[in-house]
Amino acid sequence: MMDFILIAVILLIVAAAAGYVIKAKKSGAKCIGCPVEGGCCSHHQSHTGSCCHGCGGADSSRLKDK
Amino acid sequence: MRIALTGNPNSGKTTMYNALTGRNERIGNWAGVTVEKKESPIKKNFYGGAEELIAVDLPGAYSMSPFTSEESITSGYVKNEHPDAIINIVDATNLSRSLFFTTQLLELGIPMVVALNKSDINEKKGTKIDTEKLSSLLGCPVVATVSTSASGNGLTEVVRTAASLLGQHQQAPYHQGNISLNSKAEVEAADRKRFEFVNGIVAKVETRKVLTREKNTQDKIDDILTNKWLGIPIFAVVMFLVFDISQSTLGPAIADILVGWIEGFQGTVAGMVENSSPLLQALLVDGIIGGVGAVVGFLPLVMVMYFLISLLEDCGYMARVSVVLDPIFKKVGLSGKSVIPFVITTGCAIPGIMACRTIRNDRERKATAMLAPFMPCGAKLPVIALFAGVFFSNASWVGTLMYFAGILLIFLGALLVNKIAGYKNRKSFFIIELPEYKIPSLKRAFLSMCSRGWAYIVKAGTIILLCNTAVQIMQSFNWSFQLVEEGQESTSILASIASPFALLLIPLGFGAWQLAAAAVTGFIAKENVVGTLAVVYGITNFIDVDELVLVHGADQVAAVFGISTVAALAYLMFNLFTPPCFAAIGAMNSEIKDKKWLLGGICLQLGTGYTVAFLVYQIGTLLTTGSVGTGFVPGLIAVAAMVGIVIYLIKKTDASLAAEYALGAAAK
Repeated sequence: MMDFILIAVILLIVAAAAGYVIKAKKSGAKCIGCPVEGGCCSHHQSHTGSCCHGCGGADSSRLKDK
Repeated sequence: MRIALTGNPNSGKTTMYNALTGRNERIGNWAGVTVEKKESPIKKNFYGGAEELIAVDLPGAYSMSPFTSEESITSGYVKNEHPDAIINIVDATNLSRSLFFTTQLLELGIPMVVALNKSDINEKKGTKIDTEKLSSLLGCPVVATVSTSASGNGLTEVVRTAASLLGQHQQAPYHQGNISLNSKAEVEAADRKRFEFVNGIVAKVETRKVLTREKNTQDKIDDILTNKWLGIPIFAVVMFLVFDISQSTLGPAIADILVGWIEGFQGTVAGMVENSSPLLQALLVDGIIGGVGAVVGFLPLVMVMYFLISLLEDCGYMARVSVVLDPIFKKVGLSGKSVIPFVITTGCAIPGIMACRTIRNDRERKATAMLAPFMPCGAKLPVIALFAGVFFSNASWVGTLMYFAGILLIFLGALLVNKIAGYKNRKSFFIIELPEYKIPSLKRAFLSMCSRGWAYIVKAGTIILLCNTAVQIMQSFNWSFQLVEEGQESTSILASIASPFALLLIPLGFGAWQLAAAAVTGFIAKENVVGTLAVVYGITNFIDVDELVLVHGADQVAAVFGISTVAALAYLMFNLFTPPCFAAIGAMNSEIKDKKWLLGGICLQLGTGYTVAFLVYQIGTLLTTGSVGTGFVPGLIAVAAMVGIVIYLIKKTDASLAAEYALGAAAK
């Protein structure tokens, strides 16, 4: 009986941890638990088609010097 | 309704954003902390309206003509995304410079409020700004604010004013007119005219008691801290003190209490499950609680260090470090601008690498992103603390040494990158706006420490927990999924996976599969090195002044590891200077945007980690025992092969450069 309870507890802990990681990854977090993970979006395209930085995917190498 | 927060770097935008939204985004007393756009609803108590107001925090910019990619985020957003209103945060202590950007923003026609921030500093200096007159000259409302104030001085007024402007069209007091942006002379002339206009406004509204050209106490402190000869020794002493407090005195003292609690909890759980299957007991008590507990035990050390670094950032010292290191980095083709990503990396490599986008020069930016992970991040701190405590009697110098070794490797790595990438000597200018020195806010440092500490706990309770569980299972079973008997651990799944890696590590002094397994799991998260070592060696308590002792020699743990002190130092450096975690490699990919450079960066990190560990172990063993260590010849062949590849790449680059110049000469 004790073994079943222990298996259930371990599964619960592991499932909770895995669930948290999957949820965080789905919401775009790069590093789990990071306080600034919301701001750590990579240079991917957002659903609006523009870069998530709001820069239209601007690449500094293309910027013109004055 | 979306309200964009715009302004010059280090004008206090993110501080205001945090105050308005209740968020806890990273702030710092220097320019270039924010490199991303962030959005969050403004708290209702600031305006009391039914409609939701969204604050959009943007990176700092000096003008609408972007020089770096993070500046282009700001100009791109206000031009293309059309926010409903703009709150232009103006540094009241530097009005003439700030209003240049303000007048450009006013030309966009978007309703705008000017938040005259840092008004409290002006009061102290006796500088007065006539806000009403400024408002009439600019043609937009002007509100004096102090975003660092606990009571949010002026913030309610600024938000309400911005909300009331919805749907209105902004009139501009100055129009640049049509100029050709391709003509440098035309652009410079237009900028001069705009500056004249701005200076005219400043002369009418500002009265200064202290002129900027007068030398004040701040300048005198700068003369010492950024002195050519004193700057670096002072930096070394400061870093030593940070490590001494966080890893030898205050940090371990607090950690001891925490570990006592973890041990108590572990003991209670072990007592409760003593009649169950030994495998399940080991999985829960040693794998999950023990593995996670071993990592969490280092939390106080990490938090104390974060607190101290936060104080250094807030008081304005870290910005001076950029100035101190600029001449050194310039010698290898980097600049003081690269120092900011390196300093941020001491917290976490990901924002550190992302901060590279503030660097205008493409090659310098890529090189910085590639080299930043050499600075030990917060996740590597438990590894440093563990090895410093277990193998070295004085933990503080080990930590300091690792940071300076990181700086040295950045220096050497930059030299190598220049040689391989074919760097042509050119003049490089580093201009940084040094923030004013101020008494650091204990509250902000505490909040920053708590936020990072919480992140550490979440990581330990998720990624580390899952990895430790997997490690415990792989260690308990063999490939036939039968339980591994005592004394037969080398037949386990984990041992069979880690053993080939362990073979490669013999010349570095640590060929045990357990150490190889810990190094491999470290690529998922560097804290895993500690967690995995705890699980595979069955040590769930690295910090206990009564038994194992972190600070003053830990013979029992050292004996379990079965490696010499020199090999331990080599193992520590191997873990610190090989590639960072996968998430940081992802960030490198985002910033470098070049597969060849990314691959080169990872190979450079792997090669550096391996070579450094080889040299430390073999030279150290030679010095301490009089003969070289195990696996010297194969290790030397491996290192020589890496050196050969580097020489081949350098020669190839030299040849291609020579061919390029030869073609150029022929064309002429």
